[in-house]
Amino acid sequence: MAVKFRDYYEVLGVARTASADEIKRAYRKLARKLHPDLAPAAERAEATKRFQEINEANEVLSDPEKRAKYDALGENWKNGQEFTPPPGTGGWQRVEFDDFEDLGGFSDFFASMFGRAAPGAGRGRAGRRGGVRMEMPGNDVEAELPVTVDELLQGSKRRIQMSDGRNIDVEIPRGSREGTALRLAGQGGPGFGGGPAGDLYLHLRLAPDARYRASGDDLDMDLPLQPWQAVLGDQVRIETPDGAVKLTVPPGTQSGTRLRLRGRGLPRGGGARGDLHAVARIVVPEHPSEAERRAYEALRQAADGKAGA
Amino acid sequence: MSAPDRLSRDELARALGLRPSGIERLIQLGLLDPAPEFEVTTVVRLRRVLRLRGDLGVNLVGAAIIVDLVDRLDRLERDRP
Repeated sequence: MAVKFRDYYEVLGVARTASADEIKRAYRKLARKLHPDLAPAAERAEATKRFQEINEANEVLSDPEKRAKYDALGENWKNGQEFTPPPGTGGWQRVEFDDFEDLGGFSDFFASMFGRAAPGAGRGRAGRRGGVRMEMPGNDVEAELPVTVDELLQGSKRRIQMSDGRNIDVEIPRGSREGTALRLAGQGGPGFGGGPAGDLYLHLRLAPDARYRASGDDLDMDLPLQPWQAVLGDQVRIETPDGAVKLTVPPGTQSGTRLRLRGRGLPRGGGARGDLHAVARIVVPEHPSEAERRAYEALRQAADGKAGA
Repeated sequence: MSAPDRLSRDELARALGLRPSGIERLIQLGLLDPAPEFEVTTVVRLRRVLRLRGDLGVNLVGAAIIVDLVDRLDRLERDRP
C-alpha cells in the first residue's frame, strides 16, 4: 500500500526540533482558527478536512512514542511523496464516502504507520484515547446532502452510494427546512469488536438553482418585463415551485421591484413557508423592429425632454 | 428507511455520548429544554457545543454562545444580496 507522506511538522508549522510545549501551543492556536464548528456552514466541509490534518499531526507529535517512530523514518521524506510503510505496521482500509468526506477518520498515511485511529479520536467523543478497549462504537459521521427546491417542498427518496459498497436509502420528508439535518441511526462508521455502528447526520443544503435564489426561507426569481408592461401594468403567468400562477404587474413597476407571492417560498417548518419574490427586470429590445423604433421615437417626443442622467 | 423525526431522552444521551446526568446538566444550564422528545436539530446543535468543548476546552455555556453567534453570522452572510 503506497500512501502520501505527510509532514506533520509542516502541518503544525513548527520546527522538527520543537518542544512538546511549542507543539501543544501551535496545535491549540490552529485548532481555534480552523475548528469546523466555527466556520460558516458553506465552508464547514473544507474546514473539517484541515482540522483533521492538524488533529492527526498533533496526535503523532504530542505522543513521544509516536513522534519517535515518525521521526525515525520521517527525516528524508517530503510532504506528498509516495510513502511505502515499513513491513509490520499493518494496513487498514478507511471507510470513505463517494460524495462526502468522512468527518471522523485519519489519513491512510497515519493508518499505515500507527494502525487504525481510535474511533472518535480528536472529535471529543467520550472514551477517546482510552487505551485498549475491545468494544468501540463506530464514528458518527456528518455530511452535507445537496437538495433541490422541489425536494424540500415535495420530499424525495434518494439512494446514496458509499465507497464501502453500501447503498443507503434516504427519505427527505416533505416540507423539510434547508439547513436542518436528517439522522440515520446506525448508518455511520461501523463499530469495532461488536460495538454499535455510529450514526449518520445528513445536513440538507439547497443546491444552487438556475431559477431561484434563496434568502433565508424566501426565494427570489427574475421577472423579465418589456418596458410597456412595466409602464402600463400587465397580467403575466410565471412558473413557481408550485406550478404556474398568474401575477399582476402594477402600472409603473420599476426595475428591481419585488412582487411578493406570500407563502410560495421554502418550507420554514411546521407546514409554514417563506415567500417568493418575483424581481422585476426591465428588458429593452436589442433589435427593435421598424414599428417599435417609430413608437419609441414618438415616446421620446411625448416625454418632452425628460431624459435620465 | 428513514430517520426518526424525534429522539427520546435515552436516544439523545446516546447520540451525544452522554450519561443521563449529562443531559440533566444541559437542562440545568438552560442549553436544553426539558421535553420527552427532542428534534434532530437540537441534537446537531448540542453535538457542535460538545465538540467545541472537547476540542477547544470552551465551557458549555461559552460553546453554546459561540454556536449561536456562528449561526447568526451564517444567516447574515447568506442573506446579503
